[in-house]
Amino acid sequence: MNPTTPMDFVTLKDMLSIAPMAVMFLISMIPLLMKPLLGNRELNPKTVLLYNVGAVIVAAFMTTTIFGPSFGGKSTAFANAIVIDGITVWMSYLVYLVTGVPLMLAYDHVATRGRQFTEFAFLMMSSAIGMLILIMSNDLIVTFIGIETMSLCLYILVAMSKEQVLSKEAAFKYFVLGSFASAIMLYGVALLYGTVGTTYYPDIWVGVTKMITTNRMFLTGIVLVILGFAFKVSIFPLHAWTPDVYQGASTPVTAFMSTAVKAATFVSFLRFMNSEGYAQAPQLLTVMTWLAVLTMTIGNVAAIMQSNFKRVLAYSSVSNSGYAMVGLIAAGFGANYNGAATSVLFYLFSYTLMTLGSFGLVALFEKNENTSLEVTDLRGMGRKYPWLGMALTVLMLSLAGIPPTLGFFGKFFVFSAAIEQDMYWLAFWGVINSVISVYFYLRPIVVMYMSEDKEAEVLPMHILTRGAVILAAVAVVVLGLLSSPVYALVKKSVVNLF
Amino acid sequence: MPILDGALKVGLDHYLYLSAVLFVLGMIGVMMRRNVVVILMCIELMLNAVNISFVAFSRYAENVNGQVMVFFVMTIAAAEAAVGLALAVTVFKKFREVNIRFFEHLKG
Repeated sequence: MNPTTPMDFVTLKDMLSIAPMAVMFLISMIPLLMKPLLGNRELNPKTVLLYNVGAVIVAAFMTTTIFGPSFGGKSTAFANAIVIDGITVWMSYLVYLVTGVPLMLAYDHVATRGRQFTEFAFLMMSSAIGMLILIMSNDLIVTFIGIETMSLCLYILVAMSKEQVLSKEAAFKYFVLGSFASAIMLYGVALLYGTVGTTYYPDIWVGVTKMITTNRMFLTGIVLVILGFAFKVSIFPLHAWTPDVYQGASTPVTAFMSTAVKAATFVSFLRFMNSEGYAQAPQLLTVMTWLAVLTMTIGNVAAIMQSNFKRVLAYSSVSNSGYAMVGLIAAGFGANYNGAATSVLFYLFSYTLMTLGSFGLVALFEKNENTSLEVTDLRGMGRKYPWLGMALTVLMLSLAGIPPTLGFFGKFFVFSAAIEQDMYWLAFWGVINSVISVYFYLRPIVVMYMSEDKEAEVLPMHILTRGAVILAAVAVVVLGLLSSPVYALVKKSVVNLF
Repeated sequence: MPILDGALKVGLDHYLYLSAVLFVLGMIGVMMRRNVVVILMCIELMLNAVNISFVAFSRYAENVNGQVMVFFVMTIAAAEAAVGLALAVTVFKKFREVNIRFFEHLKG
């Protein structure tokens, strides 16, 4: 929406850039249309799953072929409203992964499989399309539309669990707070539009360099937009909804929310912070530093006090936002944007794999929709299910940041990005918090192997869920060992194309 | 009468103050009211307050983008109202009343 370029007709290149998500949307419509045409009978869940996972795979394949070398590096489409670069391509793959796997979890899970699985799968795909819009948006209003598309589907997904009390309460809490935060962000967008004249990111960045110290209205706009992002990724003063909603939602939806939403929003946040001008506002740096420190600390301290395993993981996800925020601050306020941005992307990858695996394991334990898994329910599991026990051990050690795993390298790169920009205070608190977090990440392992009170219950033979959990654990170890080539690969795409 | 002139001539500032006041009223409503339907109305009020700013900025900068954005925001507000009312219906089915004082199961 840059006023200097005349609005052309939609070109072939524009259509090609959104082709993966268009195809994903169209294929995911097929089961939804088949249902009323076949007399409103629920389709076989296997058919629905095949269509939707098929759509994800086709979209991933299209991303690979379309955005190859022939597409010509970084480019924009739709009159600069969206941008295709290395980050878009990387994050698209991540979104495909975190849509496909929770769909499989939902297929297996008792709270989501059943009468409305067709609609459930369609909403999950629509939410993923919102994320794809979000990660490629280059314009504040497109960002807002992406966030809303993603969130509106999520509110319904949370409410669609078969469980009747907690899920409804969680959905409504999430809806009210989410819309409140979106409205605040939109007000920020309006103020930025009023002061800059457009909502196009590069113009905003120029505005930051010129106006952040002189124009109060502009600064207010920036702060309100940051608050909107902070709500979606649960940064400290706006984190209170996270544990409630993550506990109330059915576990496959929680797996989806805690990974995909966070990763996509963080990337958009990262794009928004890509201006050298932010360094002129030290008071903004101070506030954001304290928010990151408090997010990490409150997440970890609260997680220690929880007994419900889903709430432990929810608070762990809050503290993980704090770690990612360390990298984000280094990117926004430091001199080396690309280096710090790479570390954040790498961190998001590692966080996503670990969290997806952990929630997959929680899903295995839920016999009916009203089960809530306490940490003590894991007693004796390590001996009865050696493979799953091993997988959980690896995932927890990785979340705690023990060396050969992916989680360690994720934290390592983020903290070194902060140290590179002389932000020792942030790195110091990050390390202290990693130490605190070891306590509650090790507790499930201790309970699993060391206590002998109770024979572990029989777990259902959900082949997709089990496969996802074990693959996540394997990926955490293998990618951890290969972390420097993977990091180099991410860095290359960020530097070349940003 | 220069004082009266300043008060009677409506400029950009007046619209922005109006928008800010409506926005804050919506915020207070979301935070203070217990009835689900009133909360929904307050969220709509916040979004429409933002629309006033968009239109005012667009009019005074003579740049039509802001008015296009208002259409997007209106669409999203409609979708949000639909989702919110659907959720209110499920809440009503469960608790026989649309009030958030029943929300006490999730805490800790």
